[in-house]
Amino acid sequence: MTGLRRALWALAGAGLLLLAVQIDLIATSDFAPDRGLWIALDVVIGGGFVGVGLYAWSRRPDNRVGVLMVATGFAWFVGVFNLTDPALLFTLGLATANLFMAPAIHLLLAFPSGRLETRFDRRLVIGSYIAVTVGFLVPMFFLGSGDKHCTTCPDNLLLVEPSSGFVGAWFDGLCVIGIAALLAVLGRLIARWRRAAPPLRRIVTPLFVSGAVLMALLATLLFFDLAGIEVIESAYYVALIPFALVPYLFLAGLARARMLRAGAVGELVARVGGAIAGRELRDELARALNDPSLELAFWIPDSGAYVDPEGRSLELPESGRRATSDVTLDGRRVAVLIHDPLLLEEPELVEAVGAAAALALEKDRLEAELRAKIGELRESRARMVSFGLAERRRLERDLHDGAQQRLVSLALDLRLARDAARTDPERSEELLDGAAEELERALGELRELARGIHPAVLSDRGLDPAVEAIANRAPLAVEVVGRLGERVPEPVELAAYFVVSEALTNVAKYAHAAQATVRVERENGRVVVEVADDGVGGADPQRGTGLRGLADRIAALGGRLDVDSRPEGGTMVRARIPCE
Amino acid sequence: MRVIVAEDSVLLREGIARLLAEHGFEVVGKAGDAEDLIRKVGAHKPDVAVVDIRMPPDNTDDGLRAALQIREQQPGTGVLVLSAYVEEAYALELVADSASGVGYLLKDRVADVDGFVEAVRRVAEGGSALDPEVVSRLLGRTRRQDPLDELTPREREVLELMAEGRSNAAIAERMVVTERAVEKHVTSIFGKLNLSPTAVDHRRVLAVLAFLRS
Repeated sequence: MTGLRRALWALAGAGLLLLAVQIDLIATSDFAPDRGLWIALDVVIGGGFVGVGLYAWSRRPDNRVGVLMVATGFAWFVGVFNLTDPALLFTLGLATANLFMAPAIHLLLAFPSGRLETRFDRRLVIGSYIAVTVGFLVPMFFLGSGDKHCTTCPDNLLLVEPSSGFVGAWFDGLCVIGIAALLAVLGRLIARWRRAAPPLRRIVTPLFVSGAVLMALLATLLFFDLAGIEVIESAYYVALIPFALVPYLFLAGLARARMLRAGAVGELVARVGGAIAGRELRDELARALNDPSLELAFWIPDSGAYVDPEGRSLELPESGRRATSDVTLDGRRVAVLIHDPLLLEEPELVEAVGAAAALALEKDRLEAELRAKIGELRESRARMVSFGLAERRRLERDLHDGAQQRLVSLALDLRLARDAARTDPERSEELLDGAAEELERALGELRELARGIHPAVLSDRGLDPAVEAIANRAPLAVEVVGRLGERVPEPVELAAYFVVSEALTNVAKYAHAAQATVRVERENGRVVVEVADDGVGGADPQRGTGLRGLADRIAALGGRLDVDSRPEGGTMVRARIPCE
Repeated sequence: MRVIVAEDSVLLREGIARLLAEHGFEVVGKAGDAEDLIRKVGAHKPDVAVVDIRMPPDNTDDGLRAALQIREQQPGTGVLVLSAYVEEAYALELVADSASGVGYLLKDRVADVDGFVEAVRRVAEGGSALDPEVVSRLLGRTRRQDPLDELTPREREVLELMAEGRSNAAIAERMVVTERAVEKHVTSIFGKLNLSPTAVDHRRVLAVLAFLRS
C-alpha cells in the first residue's frame, strides 16, 4: 500500500470516528433542533463529501477536486459541533459554522480540473476563506447569550464583552459581503458554463447547476436576513439540498463518463477491427475521445521528426492550449494524439483509446513514414537535377573562360606567326613561343577540369590512393587514418571521394584550420567517411550547395551525411554509405 | 638506342615514334595496347619503352601495370610512362624501390621536344626522369614539421631538379652555375634532410623520394 493510500484510509477512519462521535453528541444534545434531521444531514453531507472526496482523491491524486471535497466534508463536521453540549465543542462549532462554504466555493470554481482559471477566481476563493474564518471568529468575542439563536445553548467560551450592537453591525456587513461573493460565484459559474466546449459542458453541467442554485438560495436568504424579513426555518434546510447533492452528482458523473468511455472504446475496437485508416481512423478516434479537434502525429525515427498523416513534417504544440498523449505499441512510440487539454483529466480513456487503435495507428505511421520518404526523395531528386544542371553550367563556364579562350588566342598567335615567318622570323619565333606557353596552360586547365569531373586515379585504383591524393593536394596538413584496403562499388567510391574533396575544400576555404584528419573505413556493411578539422566550426549543411548536393547524392545511395559543427571549434563531416 | 612506343592514339603514337626516330632512336616496335606492349618488349628487348598509362584493354591504368611488369621481368629495359594526369601515387608506385631506368612524365612534355628526348635517353641509360609537376606536388605537401623549410631557395631548386633525375652537370647547366657549386648545394641538402649522400643519380632520386613520401 502506498503512503498516499494509507493516509487516505487514515482520513476515512478519522471521518467515520468524527461522524460517530458527532451523531452521539447531537442525539444527546440538550438544545439542538430537529436532531434526527441533523444526524441525517451529517451523514449525507459530511459523510458524502468526505467519502466521495477520498475516492476521487485516490483515483486522481494530482487533481485537487478530491482534496477540496474532503476539506469541505471535514469543515462541515467541525461546524456541526455548534449543536453539541460540551462548551468547548459548541464554541468551536459556532466559530466555524460556515467554514464549509469556502472549500465548497473553491471546489465549484476549480471543477473539474482542480485549478482556478482566473485571478478573479483566486481572489474570490481567498476572500471566501478569510470571510468564513476571520469573519466569524471576530464577533465570537462579543457574542453574548442574548445574540445566540438559542437560549439553552452552552456558554460562548470566547466571549470577552457582550455587545449586541457590534455583533449586529458586523453580521450585517458580513451579509453584504456574503451576498456579493455568492453572486460573483454564481456569475462565474454561469460564465464558465457558457464558455465551455460541448465535452466540458457535459461534465460540468450537473455540478454547476446545483452550485448555481445553492449560490442563489444562499444569497436570497442572506438578503432576507439583512432586510429583516422573517423566513421559515425549513427554508434553510431547502438551501442545503443542492449542497448535499454535490458529491453524489460528482459520483454520478464519474459513473456516466466511465459508461460512455466503455461504450466509445468498445465501438472503436469494433470499427478499427474493420481495418479503417487515415482520415477515417482519425475521425473514429476523435469520436471515441469526444474531441473534434483531435490531430495525429507520427514519429519518424529515421529523420528524428514528427510528421502528420500526409507525411508533412510537424512540430508538436507547446503545452497549454493543446495537450499531447503518446500511443505506444510494444514499448515503441507509434503516434502522438494532439488533443484538448481537458482530456488529460481522463487519462484512462485516452490510454484505452490509444491501445485500441495502436495497431491501426502503426499502419498509418508506416504509411506516413513512406509518404515522408517519398516527399524527401522528390525534393532531393529535384535538388540533384538542379545540382547537376548547375554543375554543367559551371563546367561550360570553366571551359569557355579557360581552355577555349586560350585556344582561340593560340590560333591567333599561330596565324600571326605564319604571316610573319618570312618577313620577320624573329617575331614569328616569339609568337610561336607564346603559343606553346598558352597551349601548356590550356592543357593544365583541361587536366584540372577533367580531374574535377572524374578523378582517373579513383576509377583506376580506388578510394584509398584517391583520398591520399586529395589529402596531398590540400593546402593544409591532412592526416589520413584508416583504409578500405579493397575496391567498393563505383557509386560508393565516387560519393565518398567527393565527400572528402568537398569537405577538405570547405575546411581550406572557411575553417581557418591548422590540420584535418580524414578517416575512411568499413564498418558494419557501410563505408564510413569522416573529415574532421580543428578550425572555427559553424559549418551549416543547409548553407551552400556543395554539402547539400553531397547529402542528396549519399541519400540516393541509402546513406546519410551528418555535419557536426560546434561553434566553439572544429567541424566533423561524416558520411555513412551502405555497402554490402 | 632501341625504343618501343606504346600508345593507343595512333596520331600520338606515330608522332612520338617519328620524333624519336628523328633524334637518333631506333623505333623497334609500336604497340596499341598493354598486351601488345608486353609481347613486343619481350621479343625486341629494347633499351626503353615509352608507355601511355591509359590504354586498352581496360582503359584504366593498363599501361602502368604493364610498365611494372616490364620493370620486374626485364630490368634491362627502361620504362618511361606518360600520363595525362599528375598522380604522385603512380610515380611512387612505378619507382618503388629502384629509380633506375624509370620515368614518369606528363604527356604535355612531349611538346618540349629536347627535354622529352633527353628524358627518354636518360631512362634508356638507366637513369630516371620524374615530371617537375610530380616533384613539386611531393614537395608541396603540407607537413606539420617540414625540414624542407630549412632549405634555401637555391637548395630547393637543386632538390627539385635532383628529384627529376637530373645529373649534377645538367643541374649546373640549367642553373647557370659551376658543377662544383651544385655539389656543395647537394651536400648541404643531404645534411639538412639527414640523408646519406650518394653519387649515383638514380639512387639519389630514390633517397629524395623516400624522404618526400615519408
